[in-house]
Amino acid sequence: MAPAVRLSRQRRFITPEPGETLETLAARVLPDLSANEAAEKLASWNLHIFLLRKPAGLLLGSDVVFIEPPLG
Amino acid sequence: MFDVLITGGRIVDGTGATARHGNVAIRGGRIAAVGDVTGEAARTIDAAGKVVAPGFIDPHTHFDVQLLWDGAARPALEHGLTTIVPGNCSLSLAPLKAADRSRVVGMFQQIEEMPPEAFTEAFEWCWEDFAGYREAVARHLSINVAPLVGHSVIRLWVMGEAAQQRAATSDEIAAMQDLLRACLDAGAVGLSTSFVDIDENGRPVPSRFAQFAELDALCAVLGEWGGRMLQCVPEFYAVDLTIARIDQLAELSLRHGIPTTFSPLFDSTQAPDNAPRAIARVEEQFARGARVWPQMQTRPIDISFSLLRPSLFFARLPRWVRVLRQPLEARLASLTDPETVERMVADLGPDGGERMMGGLVVRGGDAAPQAYVGRTLSEIARERSQLPARALIDISLENGLDVAFLSAAQGHESTERIGPMLAHPLMHIGASDGGAHIASFATYGDTGYLFSEFVRKAGALTLEQAVRKITSETADIWGLKDRGRLQPGKAADVVVFDDRTIGRGEERAVFDLPGEGMRYVRDAVGIDAVLVNGEVAWAGGRYADARSGVFCN
Repeated sequence: MAPAVRLSRQRRFITPEPGETLETLAARVLPDLSANEAAEKLASWNLHIFLLRKPAGLLLGSDVVFIEPPLG
Repeated sequence: MFDVLITGGRIVDGTGATARHGNVAIRGGRIAAVGDVTGEAARTIDAAGKVVAPGFIDPHTHFDVQLLWDGAARPALEHGLTTIVPGNCSLSLAPLKAADRSRVVGMFQQIEEMPPEAFTEAFEWCWEDFAGYREAVARHLSINVAPLVGHSVIRLWVMGEAAQQRAATSDEIAAMQDLLRACLDAGAVGLSTSFVDIDENGRPVPSRFAQFAELDALCAVLGEWGGRMLQCVPEFYAVDLTIARIDQLAELSLRHGIPTTFSPLFDSTQAPDNAPRAIARVEEQFARGARVWPQMQTRPIDISFSLLRPSLFFARLPRWVRVLRQPLEARLASLTDPETVERMVADLGPDGGERMMGGLVVRGGDAAPQAYVGRTLSEIARERSQLPARALIDISLENGLDVAFLSAAQGHESTERIGPMLAHPLMHIGASDGGAHIASFATYGDTGYLFSEFVRKAGALTLEQAVRKITSETADIWGLKDRGRLQPGKAADVVVFDDRTIGRGEERAVFDLPGEGMRYVRDAVGIDAVLVNGEVAWAGGRYADARSGVFCN
């Protein structure tokens, strides 16, 4: 059993389920926002997937998908 | 009667203990005695004035293919390395079905920059499984090998084309577990995976298509085998991503009782908080009981290139990559097509490449005009009344493309910052990438640079600390129980060196690969002798005909 050590707060993330898309991920992570707004937010927090990758937006099973913006 | 007696040296035994004068006796490939030992020996090595230490261990290499024609992984061995870990970053040459060879060769070429002839002319593919690869390599080893097996090739074996398309089914994951068991049985010391690498077509390597559950299942096998290593290459360019990977590795480490390591961890003076933040997270995870070892290289990032071949230097310029990936004739046609060149120059932005290329230095030693050698592209371009990007293309064309440019100290270059990080108790010195990126920079001599830059010049580590880092600490992290210490009964991997001069030679281009392929190397400096399992493998500036290297796990 691991010792009870409190980890400092870091950016929260999830990994995609098989077959997930930006839209389904956005609905899962940000259910209270409109589909467009949720997708835009999620994309802006994950430029490594939705901007820098070729083809942009190709979701991989091993991806780290941040579900919040960078911490201040 | 000893086989070898090394006399009169300062023994730095790898444990961190203070250096002491004495002798080292070797018999039957093992250390027989250390210290005040005398006796007859078949061979005596006079080490007066020199340091006698355990052989160095390099935990991050890509010598997988080179080992098939060069059992010494030259010039790694002459730098004092007696054990290397190939198979990093999700790629190994086994297990690999014949039908998938060209696909994996493409991935290796993307990473290692080896010419195609290295895979077609230098050896015969006579294996598919891991045991077969081991047999093919073991025939002529002079260096010890502790190989990882690559997640990408395991996936490819089980899933074929689908390995680069989708998540695995539970049956496929079970088949991967069985295959991993077979590889561990055949001598693999662990598993490697990658979260960043791409193949030669720009497609993510197979391991990146794996769900976390797949990696978790494979790590369960590493746990079954007494806690074998998981290595990964994370998104090292973004610290939040690196920290997320540290957390994933920690979960796997705790859940399965395995050590994990990630490489590389670079320091950047442009983003000075990044490496310290990652190290702080590692400290927290170790405090929980997880083992997540960051690997940091000693050398700064230097990249050399010519337009004769594709280069990492252009990674962020897709048009340049496309042009340079073409066969020579088509490449020349593109580089002489005014429209294409105009677009290439425009890709560099309004300054015509001043920021990205202005600091490049013409290396010399090739077809470069003497008048340009040692000067910056910025200066030369001004003299030619050209933008730097256009000058680079024109100078290359005027000289048969055989003009190499050096982009020096592109990061990880601050000795004052990096020294304390290397000395950190949780920092694993490694990430040399030995045998990879061979046409961009020399991945040899990092251990010499550790001593010249961080022990002698900066004083960030003592001699004993530096030796411990790259011997017993590495052996302990990787579970190589037989290595890393000069103690009776241990394998007799020994390096004799001069701590006043050990370093790394100048980077130079050589054409010694199959097909006369080019690579950059550095010669050893200050190393007198290297013994592998008791046999002299390198001494007096020459390789011996020793074949004493083994697979060790």
